[in-house]
Amino acid sequence: MILIELGTYFARLSLLTFGGLSAVVPDMQRYIVDVKGWTSATDFMRLFAVAQAAPGPNVLITSLIGYRVAGVAGSLVALFALCLPAGGLTWVVSALWGRFRDSPWRGAIQRALAPLVVGLTFAAGYAIATPHAPDWRLWLIALATAAVMLRTRVNPLWLLAGGAVLGGLLI
Amino acid sequence: MTAIGENDSVRAVNWERGTPIPTPPRSLAELFLGFLSIGARSFGGVLPAAHYVMVERRHWLTPADFTETIGLCQALPGPNVGNAAIVLGRRWFGLSGAIVAFLGLFALPYLWVLALALVYTHWAARPLVSAVVTGVGASAAGLLVATAVKLGRPMARKPAGVALMAGCFVAVAIGRMPLPVVMPIALSVGIALSRGGLL
Repeated sequence: MILIELGTYFARLSLLTFGGLSAVVPDMQRYIVDVKGWTSATDFMRLFAVAQAAPGPNVLITSLIGYRVAGVAGSLVALFALCLPAGGLTWVVSALWGRFRDSPWRGAIQRALAPLVVGLTFAAGYAIATPHAPDWRLWLIALATAAVMLRTRVNPLWLLAGGAVLGGLLI
Repeated sequence: MTAIGENDSVRAVNWERGTPIPTPPRSLAELFLGFLSIGARSFGGVLPAAHYVMVERRHWLTPADFTETIGLCQALPGPNVGNAAIVLGRRWFGLSGAIVAFLGLFALPYLWVLALALVYTHWAARPLVSAVVTGVGASAAGLLVATAVKLGRPMARKPAGVALMAGCFVAVAIGRMPLPVVMPIALSVGIALSRGGLL
């Protein structure tokens, strides 16, 4: 049953979402598109675009994927499956936080996670901008957006709007 | 009524003068409405909205308490503000608080994103619409790259960090290996490097 498959997949992914959702985007694309064939890589990219353009926590991309795969029930199962295991862990750790905050392991784990999160976030950018063979138009829009984002303090929503205009002109 | 009003204004004055006395939500309804308004304001980032509503406007938390709570949530897996809803809801009202805060946070953004998806699906067959949305997707990929560059700058001078970062990128983006395989391996290597003083 597709709801169970969706739920198990996102629940397993939940405990890997260090540093937010970006780190698990490439794996979502791999599973949903390559392994299950529930949608195309281009469609995945567009769902990601819709999720970014909407307000709210970016984990809502999971509801869009769930909705595409199994309707409203799918959207709720995917969202809760992604949030609950991590939420449960947070519940437990926050209860033990007094003991955990000064542990030497905490610093070691955080320093170890930083390069992982950076590498996986780069991978997410690459995976989204390269749904099939490399396409210079998509890479141009992505790199231009990244350059402006790094050099100015403009609201990211304006950059997405710029991407929309460039998309309309180039693609 | 006046007594409560005066009390609130005294608290607000203390807040402005730098001796913050937090006033946690008094009911589950207040908790729900607060998180609902965080969700409603989260255009362009949930974290700034959470700070605005809980610290600046409702004075539920002191700035230092907010920073520490978010710091804990960032160190753990899961959406940061979603986790913060669970931690704070639990602190103030136990399990029902955690559930209410979480549902309040996601209610409006969930409806909004679903509505947007329906609109998009309806118009998706038009070439211009699909080109525009593809452009937004490429742009969103660019935002991810920019975020990675910002986060990665501090570790650029540590060769072990750069190697670990590159290894994760290649394994996942190029090799398309499953994350449940890559993450435990990379994390073990990272912890070993970190304990050895290389990160």
